[in-house]
Amino acid sequence: MGCTVSDLNPPTSSGISRRTALRALGAGAGAAALLPWLSDEGLLAFSELQRRPAPPKPKVIPLAQFGTLEALVEAILPADERSPGARDARVAYYIDLLLSESDEPRRAQWLTGLTALDAEATSRFGVPFGKLDAASTDTLMTAISRNESAPVTPLETFFNITKQATIHGYYTSEIGIHKELRYKGNQMLVDFVGCQTVDGKDCPHCGQKAEI
Amino acid sequence: MQNDKTISIGLGDITRESRRLAMTITPKTGKWDVIVVGSGAAGGMAAFQLAMAGIKVLVLEAGRMIDTQKEYRTMEWPYASMRRHRMPTDERSIGVAEYNFVDRPYGNHPGFEKYRKLNSYAGNTFTRNWVVNEKENPTTGTPYAGVRARILGGRTNFWGRGALRYGPLEFKAASHDGFDVDWPISYDDVKPYYDKVDILLGCSGTKENLTQVPDGIFQRPSKLNCVEVEFKRAIAKMGRHYIPGRAGVTTEGVLNNKYRTRCMGRGRCGRGCDLHSSFHSPTALIYPARDSGNLTVRPYSIVKEVLLDEGTNRASGVRVIDANTREVMDFKARVVVLGAGALETTRILFNSKSPRYPNGMGNSSGIMGSYLSEHMMGIRGSGFMPTRIGKEPTLDDGRPVPPYIPRFRNVTDRQKDFIRGYHFQGGGGSGEYPGMANQMPGYGKALKSSIRKYYPSMISLGGFGEVLPRKENRIMLDPQVTDAWGIPVLKFDFKFGDNEMKMAKDMAATVEEMLTAAGAESIKVVNDPLPPGWSIHEIGTARMGDDPKASVTDKYCRLHDVKNVYLADASPFVSGGTQNTTWSILAMCWRTMDYLKEQMKAGDA
Repeated sequence: MGCTVSDLNPPTSSGISRRTALRALGAGAGAAALLPWLSDEGLLAFSELQRRPAPPKPKVIPLAQFGTLEALVEAILPADERSPGARDARVAYYIDLLLSESDEPRRAQWLTGLTALDAEATSRFGVPFGKLDAASTDTLMTAISRNESAPVTPLETFFNITKQATIHGYYTSEIGIHKELRYKGNQMLVDFVGCQTVDGKDCPHCGQKAEI
Repeated sequence: MQNDKTISIGLGDITRESRRLAMTITPKTGKWDVIVVGSGAAGGMAAFQLAMAGIKVLVLEAGRMIDTQKEYRTMEWPYASMRRHRMPTDERSIGVAEYNFVDRPYGNHPGFEKYRKLNSYAGNTFTRNWVVNEKENPTTGTPYAGVRARILGGRTNFWGRGALRYGPLEFKAASHDGFDVDWPISYDDVKPYYDKVDILLGCSGTKENLTQVPDGIFQRPSKLNCVEVEFKRAIAKMGRHYIPGRAGVTTEGVLNNKYRTRCMGRGRCGRGCDLHSSFHSPTALIYPARDSGNLTVRPYSIVKEVLLDEGTNRASGVRVIDANTREVMDFKARVVVLGAGALETTRILFNSKSPRYPNGMGNSSGIMGSYLSEHMMGIRGSGFMPTRIGKEPTLDDGRPVPPYIPRFRNVTDRQKDFIRGYHFQGGGGSGEYPGMANQMPGYGKALKSSIRKYYPSMISLGGFGEVLPRKENRIMLDPQVTDAWGIPVLKFDFKFGDNEMKMAKDMAATVEEMLTAAGAESIKVVNDPLPPGWSIHEIGTARMGDDPKASVTDKYCRLHDVKNVYLADASPFVSGGTQNTTWSILAMCWRTMDYLKEQMKAGDA
C-alpha cells in the first residue's frame, strides 16, 4: 500500500517513543528484551530495515554492469529534494526482470549498450560510468541525449530505450507514485471533490474564480 | 513469474464450478421457456426481464462463470508486482499498428507463434482471462479490431461506462439529412425504457437540455476538475458544451440489489468494480435473476446455430458445442433470444442454415450482415492547461468517466463536407501515471521537475464519429476458416468512407481549435483514425424495419423470418449516432422483452 507506517508516524529524533518504535517493528515486549542495546532511533532504523524486502539478485545483467545500469537510471531520474530517484525505486531491478523475459536480441541490445556506455566513460574519463563524478556524468549524459528526437549512434539509441523504461519503471513504483507525484487517487472517497468553482467557490488549487 | 500474484490469481475454484455446472446442465435436466444466448448487457437484461416475470430461462454463456471477488482487482497498484502489470510471457495483445498490417487471421501470423494466447488490443492484466484467444476465435477479411469476451457478463466486466441515450437525431437521422432510412421507431418509443434502465441500474449525470444527448434520470454527477473547468469556460464562448460524463455507475445506490453498492470514487472501473457500483451484468442482472429461481446459467456453451422446425417455421432451440468436452447437444425452448453481441449474433444466424433458409436464418432479405456501423476513434488532441502548470497535484481521477463534449456538428447547422457528427470524451488532471512523461525531453533533475511541473495540467480529448450505415460495409461467413470448434467464422468487408474521412479532418481541426481557445500549451493533435472496430460499438448487422425485404427484424427486434427468435443486442440498430452503445442495448432489450412477454402471454410465442 501507498501509506506505510513511517508515513503515518514520521520518525523524528525527538518525538519518537520506544513504544512507537516497537509497534512499528511489530514486536512485543519480548523482542524489546532481545534488543536492549538499541537506542529508540536505532530500533526504528532496525524496524525500517526489517520492513524493506531483501534486494533480489539481478537475473540477467552481470553484477558489474548492474552498477552501471543503476547509475544510468539514477542519472535519468535522480533523487532530489522532493523524492528519491530511480535507484531507490529499484528501476534497475525492474529492467533486469523485463530483460529476463525478453528475447535474445533485446537482451543483447541492453548488455551491449551498457558495455558501450562504460567504454565511452572509460575512454573519456578513465573510469566506468558508475564511477564518474557528477560533472563527468553530466557531460556524458548531455552527449548521449543530444539527438534524443532522432538518435544516430547506438549509444544515443540506448539512452532512449533506457530512458523510456526508466520513466515507466519509476512512475509505476511506490516512490514514483506517492513520493514524487504525490498522486492522491485510488482510495475510497465519500465524494469526488473536483474544482471548487463547481461548488460556487474560488478554487485554491487553480486560482479560478467562482462563476457569478 | 509463477510467484507473481497479479498473474496467478487463483481461478481454480471458479473453473471447477463452471465445469461442474456444464456437466450437470444438459437438455435432459431441465425444461425452459426461453433460451438466451449470451450474458452481457443484452443477454443479462433479457434474462433479468424474463426471469423476474416468472419465465423459466436458460442462459447459454460461451465462457466460464466469473469470480468477481478475485477477478475484479480494482485497487491493485502497479507496484503490486515488479512486473508492473505486464502480461505473462506466453500471452500477447495485438498492437494498434498490427491490425492494419498483419494478415488475417491475426492469430496465424508467425510472429505470434510463440504465444499460447493472442488477445485483441483490449487484453491487459485485468481483462486477459475474459477476452478470447484470437488463435481459437479467428476472423478474416479487412482489418477489424474486434473485441470479444467469453465470460459471464461478457464485455460489461470491463466496459467504458459511457451511458448515453440516442435521441431524435439518431432515431430519425434520415429525416434529418436524407441519408439511408429512419429507425421504424422513435425516441418516444424507447424513452420510457431508458428511464427504467436509469432507475434499475443507476446512471450518473447532469440535466443539460440538449437534444443531441437527451437527459435521463440521473444520480449524483461527477464534477469537473480544475483543468476541465478552465477548458469548459473557454469553449462555452464558442457555444460548445463540456459536461460531466454520463456513467452507467450508481453514485447513490440502487434499490433491490444486494450485490451492488454506491460508487466510492476510486476510478479504475474498467478493471471490474469490486463494489459493483459500475454496471456489470453478473451482479446487476444475472445474479438477481438467478435468485428468482427462474434462471439457469450454463457456462462453456458455444451456440453454433438456431434450430428450425421446418414444419412450423419456428425455432425449436439451439445447438450447443461444449467448449471443453466438445459434446454437441440441442437445447429446446419455446423462444430463442440472441444476445451475443451484434457480430456474434449475426454469425449464429448465418450459421443457422436450413433448406428453407440456405443463406442463414433471418436472411431472406439478403441484407443480413450489411450496414455494419460503429464509431470511428483515434482523432484526439492534448495539451497543458495554464492554471495548473507547476501546481501541487489534486485528486482528479476518482470518478467513473471523464467529461463529455456533446455533438455540435449538424445539430442545428449543416456542414458542407459531411453529414452526421461526432463527440469528444476526455478530461485531465493528475492521473496515476503521468502520460506525458515519455515525451518530455532531457534527463536528470530538469527532466524530473518538468514532468512534475506539467503532470497536474494535462488535458486530453478523444473523438467518436458516426460511421455511416452503408450496405457495402458488411460481415459474412468465411467459406474456409473455422474456429477451434469447427464453426465458420466472420469475414469483414468494412472501410471508413469518404464521409468519415472528411469528418475526421473536421474533428482534428475542432479539437485543436478548442485547445487553442483554452490557452493550452504544447498542443498535440493526432489526425489518424484507429483501426475499424476499436470503439467496440458495433451495430446494425441485422437491422430492423417494417419491410421484410429491406430488414432482418421487425420493430420489436423479432426476426421477420422466424417469429419466435428475438435479437437483444445492437444487431437490429439502424444507425448509432456518436453515443456509446451499451445504454441503448439495455433499453432496447427491455422493450423487446416486454413485447416478448406479451406475446408469450397471448400464446403467440
